[in-house]
Formats: sequence, structure tokens, C-alpha cells
Amino acid sequence: MRNAFQKPKGWVEAAGDIVKFFGRVFGELFSGRVFRFFGEALRQSGVLILGSTLVIWNLAFILGLTCGIEGAYFNRSVGAPAYAGVFSAWCDLREITPYSFGYMLSAKVGTGLVAEIGAMRITDEVDALEVMGISSMTFLCGTRLLAALFVFPFMYVGSVGMAFFASYIAVVQQIGEVSSGGFFLIFWMFQNPTDLIFSLTKAFSMAVVIVLVGLYYGYTAGGGPVGVGTATAKSMVLNLILVHLIGMLGTQIFWGSAPRAPIGG
Amino acid sequence: MSERETEEREQEEERGSTEGHEQDSDGDTGEYEHHGETRDHGGDDGDAIEFIDVKKSFGANTILNGLSLGIPENQISMILGPSGTGKSVCINHMVGLLYPDEGDVLVHGESVPQMADDELFAMRKKFGVLFQDGALFGSMNVFDNVAFPLRQHTDKGEDEVGDIVNKRLKEVGLAAAGTRMPNELSGGMRKRAGFARALVLDPDIVLFDEPDSGLDPVRTALLCELIMEIHEENGGAYVVITHDIMSARRVAEYIAILWKGKIVESGPADELFNSANQFVRQFLAGEAQGPLGME
Repeated sequence: MRNAFQKPKGWVEAAGDIVKFFGRVFGELFSGRVFRFFGEALRQSGVLILGSTLVIWNLAFILGLTCGIEGAYFNRSVGAPAYAGVFSAWCDLREITPYSFGYMLSAKVGTGLVAEIGAMRITDEVDALEVMGISSMTFLCGTRLLAALFVFPFMYVGSVGMAFFASYIAVVQQIGEVSSGGFFLIFWMFQNPTDLIFSLTKAFSMAVVIVLVGLYYGYTAGGGPVGVGTATAKSMVLNLILVHLIGMLGTQIFWGSAPRAPIGG
Repeated sequence: MSERETEEREQEEERGSTEGHEQDSDGDTGEYEHHGETRDHGGDDGDAIEFIDVKKSFGANTILNGLSLGIPENQISMILGPSGTGKSVCINHMVGLLYPDEGDVLVHGESVPQMADDELFAMRKKFGVLFQDGALFGSMNVFDNVAFPLRQHTDKGEDEVGDIVNKRLKEVGLAAAGTRMPNELSGGMRKRAGFARALVLDPDIVLFDEPDSGLDPVRTALLCELIMEIHEENGGAYVVITHDIMSARRVAEYIAILWKGKIVESGPADELFNSANQFVRQFLAGEAQGPLGME
């Protein structure tokens, strides 16, 4: 019986460690210590922009095409092809773009952080920072979180734009059963600027969690290269779970009671 | 999990099996007992670092078991001992990467475990540490690696930083390697670059964690020469952790021999090499017969 409780107990302890770590990283930010290394934060911002923007926008574009195509064919099948814009507005803004953003950040940024910082940990680079009198928590974790806060809002708004553009191409240019004006009439009717803020909040929450999880598993990696590999895999699993949890909660909170669906008037 | 707990867990993982054997051997051998003889180092400047009855365990494995040791100022000291006996743990205690379970570690008379984080980071600026593989930052070239502590801790302009870095790189024979990335360097070059970085802030205390590991005998000899030359020029307390006896003969002015978490004997190098202690004699002569076995 005791063994049956060992695993859940371990999970709870691990969750406690992770939350405590998140608190420490946020502490670096809010105490202002991280601004001592503002140059490093800018460098990390550059790394994020150059290394991740294109691949995230590409994924958003492809999924925007998918939403547009599926919406157009479904509406054609029920005799309302002019309403294809509903799918584009909802699918792109509320679900697919936040998820695609979360998936690609988990795969590219989250695992990258684990691998980079984990490798630094096992090659004594983290200790080297500490013995130089530099807080590794501030220099490695605080600066990367700050960079994420700088870059991700713009990157995400760009992703939404790519998805909208792709849906427009699929519905209006490729399938072509609705005019451009007709598409945009419905498309904008089913969303407003508040929805964009909600969508941004959802995606941004995912992004911050993904970065923190990556930092945690990288910073606490041990046991040589195998340990770093294991930590990378664990971070990916946890990030995917958290992305879906945040996605579900976001949809429920932001649109569960007020779906903004002006049907029938 | 805190940073230090993580460190401790790693250390435990790395040393667990080896130390486990040593624990087992305690009861088996039972022939040799530490007497911890400490001879005066003969220097005039006192101790830069002191271990006072330090005990440290990782789980069930006791690594330091009442370690008392003084590291003299302005001398090259060597901490020698068999593999897995706690030498690297000693270094980690000196710079506050690990804290003792019991006892105290003093750096220039100040207790490291009692320091607040800010004091600890300030104290660490007294140190230069050469890690086993150099621990160069993989994202920076050699020049930037060596310049990093200067850029972080001083207000020097880039010209001055460049002059200091180039001087240090020249000293370690890497004047032409400044633009190369760490992964383009050999093991010996990485160590020398790490040495240049350790020296760049003119530290009072320089720690070398097995500087000879992975080097051929000639390069080991050259590195030892370099350590002596730079110590002669800069002074300060240099502490070399190794189990290489040839390096000890070349470099050491003061030697402490560590086994099973305690000092077997410490004192001036000449006296240690003529010690009557059977463990010291066996270890420094590299003989198979004696208290130290394979366990």
C-alpha cells in the first residue's frame, strides 16, 4: 500500500520543486537583478527571433490553410459557403494558432533550453559562472525569461497574421466560393479586438510556462549526456500536457460563457 | 529543488559507487588509521583557506569525515589522494558551491557557510578556478571567454580588456587562438584557455581541479611549468588537486594527502616526500604494497 503512494508523492514533490524554481526565476525578474545582464537578455532575444520566428510562422501558415480549407468544404456541404469565414475566425484565432505556437515553442525553444543549459551544467560551465561571482540563476534563467517576454508577444501576433492570411488564400483564392468582401464580412463579425487579447493571453501563458519548464529541466539536469537527454524528453512531455491544459482552460474562461457567435441577428 | 541540493545530488551520483567501496573497506582492512599529522608550512603569511573539522555526506556516503586543513598563502599547495576520495568536494567547499554538514570553511578568516548570497558572490571574485576540462563557454570564442569576467566585473573599456586578455592568452601560449571556438581546441588548449580566464581578474587564490587529467606527460610537464611561472609572477595561494605524483614533485611547495575524507599527512613537499608514514610513502612512491588497495 505504501508503494502505491510513493509515485504520486514523488510527482507532488517534483511539482513543488518546479513551482519553487518558477518563483525563483520570477524573483530574478521582479527584483530587477536580471537587468544587470540586459545585454545578455538582448542577445537571447536575438537568438529567439532569428532561430524560431520563421519556423513558427510557417507552421501557423500551414495550419491556417488547413482551417480555411476545412471550413470552406464544410460550409459548402451544408449549403452556406459564404460562412467559411466563421471557421477561419474561430479556428485560427482561438485554437489552432495558440496550439501551433505552443507545440513549436515546446519542440524548438523548450527542448533547446534544456539541451543548452543542461550541457552547460554537465560541463561545469554553470559552476564556472558561479565561481566567477555571477549568479547562474540570474544570468542563465532570468535573462532567457526576459528575452521571452520581449519577443513572444510580437512573434505570436505575427503568427495570427500568418494564419489569417493563409485562411484567406485557401477560402477566397484557392476554393473561391465566396468573394473577398463576403469572406471578410463574416470573418470580422465573429471576432473583435478583445478576442485577440484573449488569444494572446492564452498563447503567452503557454510560452512562459514552456520557457520556465525548459529552464527548470536544463538547470537541474545531471547524470551526464544521458541525464540531459532524459531531462529534454521529460520537458517535452510536461510542456505538451501543460499546453493542452492552458489551451482548454483559456477557451473555457475566455469564450465558454460568451462565445461571441452572432448567429440569427 | 534548490541549486545547492542539485549540486549535492550530482556529486552523490558521481561518487556514489566509488565511495561505497571505500565504506565497505573500512571494516575489511582495519590496519591503517589516520593520524592526521600536520607539519608547519613554514610560510610567513598564514593560511588563505582553512578547513575546520569539516564533515560532508551525500546520503549514506560520507565524503569528508572531519577534514582539518590549512592552505598556506603565497605557496603552491597540492591536495593529493586516490580517486574518489573527496578532493573535488574540497574545492567546491572552498568556493561555496557546497556547504559542510558540520565544521567550517574559512577564506581569509571569513566563514564561507555563514555568508549571505551577495557576500558569497563578492568573495568568489577572489578566486580563479581552472576546471578539469576548462569549462569554457561553448557559445563564445576563446577571447570572449577570457574577457568575460573583466566585462562583468570591471568598468574597463574594450581596449583595456583587449590588452589584458591578449597578455593572458600570450602567457598561456594561445595568442593566435583568440577567435577559435572551444570545440575547435584540443584538451590541452582548453585547459590553457581556462587557465587564462582563471587569471584574468588577478585573483588572490587560484584553484586547479586535476589540471593534468587527459594530458600526455609532456603537456602535463609544460602545464606545470606554466603554473610555476605564473605563480612566481603573480603570487597568491595556488591549490592544485591531483593524483599525479610527477606533477606534485614538479610543482608542489606544500602537500596535503587526503584519504577517506581526512588528511593523512600535510606539510612542506620535501618533508612529505621523505615521510615515514606508510600510506604517504606508498602513495607518493606509487607502490602496490601498502595500506591502499584496490577497494
